[in-house]
Amino acid sequence: MSATTTAGPTTADTAPTVLPGGQRLVSLGAPGRPWFAVVVRARPVVVGLTFLALAALAALVTLTVGELGIPLADLPGVLAGEGSRAQEWALFTSRLPRLGVAVLAGAAFGVAGAIFQSVTRNPLGSPDVIGLGGGAAAGAAAAALVWPGFVPTPVGALIGAFVAIAAVYLGTGRGFGAPHRMVVVGIAIGAMALAFVQLALVRATRESAQEVAVWITGSLAARATEHVQVIALAVLVLLPLALVLTRPMQLAEMGDDLATGVGVPVGLSRTAAVVVAVLLTGAAVSVAGPIAFVALTAPQIARRLTLSSGPGLLAAACCGAFLLVLADLVAQYAMPGTIFPVGVVTAGVGGIYLAFLLVREWKQVAV
Amino acid sequence: MTTATVAPRAPQPTRLRGSRSRTVLLAVGLVVSLGVLVLMAGLGVAVGSKAVPLGDVWRALVSPDDSYNAAVVASRIPRTQVGILVGAALAVAGAVIQGLTRNPLGDPGLLGVNAGASMSVVLATAFVGAGFGRTVWAAIPGAVLAAIVVYVVGSGRAGSTPVRLILAGAAVSAVLVAVVQAVSLAKPDVFDTYRFWGIGSLAGRTPETVSLTTGFVLVGLVICLAMSRSLNAIELGDQAATSLGLAPGRTKALAALGATILCAAAVAAAGPIGFVGLAVPHVVRSFTGADHRWLLPYCAVLGPVLVIGSDVIGRVVARPGELMVGAVTAFVGAPFLVAAVRRGRVGL
Repeated sequence: MSATTTAGPTTADTAPTVLPGGQRLVSLGAPGRPWFAVVVRARPVVVGLTFLALAALAALVTLTVGELGIPLADLPGVLAGEGSRAQEWALFTSRLPRLGVAVLAGAAFGVAGAIFQSVTRNPLGSPDVIGLGGGAAAGAAAAALVWPGFVPTPVGALIGAFVAIAAVYLGTGRGFGAPHRMVVVGIAIGAMALAFVQLALVRATRESAQEVAVWITGSLAARATEHVQVIALAVLVLLPLALVLTRPMQLAEMGDDLATGVGVPVGLSRTAAVVVAVLLTGAAVSVAGPIAFVALTAPQIARRLTLSSGPGLLAAACCGAFLLVLADLVAQYAMPGTIFPVGVVTAGVGGIYLAFLLVREWKQVAV
Repeated sequence: MTTATVAPRAPQPTRLRGSRSRTVLLAVGLVVSLGVLVLMAGLGVAVGSKAVPLGDVWRALVSPDDSYNAAVVASRIPRTQVGILVGAALAVAGAVIQGLTRNPLGDPGLLGVNAGASMSVVLATAFVGAGFGRTVWAAIPGAVLAAIVVYVVGSGRAGSTPVRLILAGAAVSAVLVAVVQAVSLAKPDVFDTYRFWGIGSLAGRTPETVSLTTGFVLVGLVICLAMSRSLNAIELGDQAATSLGLAPGRTKALAALGATILCAAAVAAAGPIGFVGLAVPHVVRSFTGADHRWLLPYCAVLGPVLVIGSDVIGRVVARPGELMVGAVTAFVGAPFLVAAVRRGRVGL
């Protein structure tokens, strides 16, 4: 299990017990009767920290490069409010919110993907593959464009995500038990949701096809502080909830019967995990649009590197944050003079990864 | 097929009892469907985002003058023609792909062929020239390439299954659509004329589109219809097809060629429109059964009904704007995908 480093070393009564395989038991409370205990493996922590460092590096580049270049040496000064007006505008109005949304939405997508992949026991069960992102986008479009002022946009996105997941759940006829069915039904639900987004956009704005495309692809352009607040709130509340569910999810991956046998309320924890994942997806889509394949790839990469069983939520979160910041950097500067929506980059790279995943999976087993 | 029997007692070993009345019924049904198509085409000319009184529509058709309404009606004629071509092409291509891959989820959109065709149209427009980009030739290489890649990725060691193909199609489509978006965003000047082409739309089609597309659609339709008997045999499996005297490899290659030409033509004319190739054959098969000799002609007639009908809906629901026909067909067609999965014939 990937783990909380925050749990321990600062407290005096922490007693790390060394377990086999380089694992440590970090516990809080009286020796022998801790009120909090968690097994920490070194590798996930290292992997997570590496991703965070890489994300920080990409973030530095994001903040300093650009038309209004802010030299790295000046960055602390501008952050402290000593830069020129143009620099401050570029940093505080444009780049910092954009970066904040990228980091947090990337983390949210990563965690949501890890949860769904764990629940469906299949990498293809990711929210972006099963139409959840599309549903959230449709909800956001309905809230923002079709019935403006009825509910706030993020709430609309959440409703859309829940409607989509309910449709997929009912559409398969077998609930979450059949990942491949979920994918096919999800493609259908996703297509319908995007059709709805197009309808909403055409009715409300008569925008050009370019803007429709950007909306559907997901973009981080022109993010504001409100967007950061929404996604920060969602991550702060939901990530701890997800972490609490890590253990039951890890056990449920071994099979419902076994998990029930060791005392895990399988149905309850699964429902809770799905709700958390849907909320995270909805929040992320409401601020960044249905960015494809971060939720698919981040947990996969994290899992490969941490070599861990179980959902590995924190590593997935760090990896998702890094991927989205990096993708946004590429989207902004890959082609001089053109800024792509970040979703174009993730869809291109993620699609290749998906194909690779399929080929590899089918070499091993007959689906 | 309906040769009259002169001698009433002559043995007819190849024909089951009651099949003659069934043949008559299906033939009548096909004529009725043609009538529906004519009606739908009339609707396509008469109804639009700009309301034109029926009398004016008639007058504009019979004796066109310089009035604004006449111009509006005139602009709807090539659009409806393109709708007929695209609908027939996609529906027949879908039915052929379903037969060929023995996969009820076959659809040029789902299997990435449409995305491939649109990628190569966009690349041709950006790097060769807009004139070439409008031709069907520009769409063919991408369609072929995408079909091959999807087939290779979708066939594991144990051969292809419906779900593998569809997942491979989703992955390949994602990449190709990203390429399309990247190129069209990088060169907005080139794509101003395209407007809603990238999503699949009949808006702004000209007689030029019709003349560029018709030949390819006709060739594709002829190839596919000529293959209908062979496709029936292919559906029995390669071994059975061989024992019936077919060369499965050659048959499949030819049918795939026909379907690919149809997809490329449809995409070149109207952009990637999804779910027509899935929904129409599914509906048609419910009353014709699996016999391609009936399935394909019905698809060729009812595909246009769906496309033109969706286009009319798209013009009406978003007045004064217009919803792209691809969005309407997705909304109408996607439930058929869910239905196909639930019916459980796709090995899921």
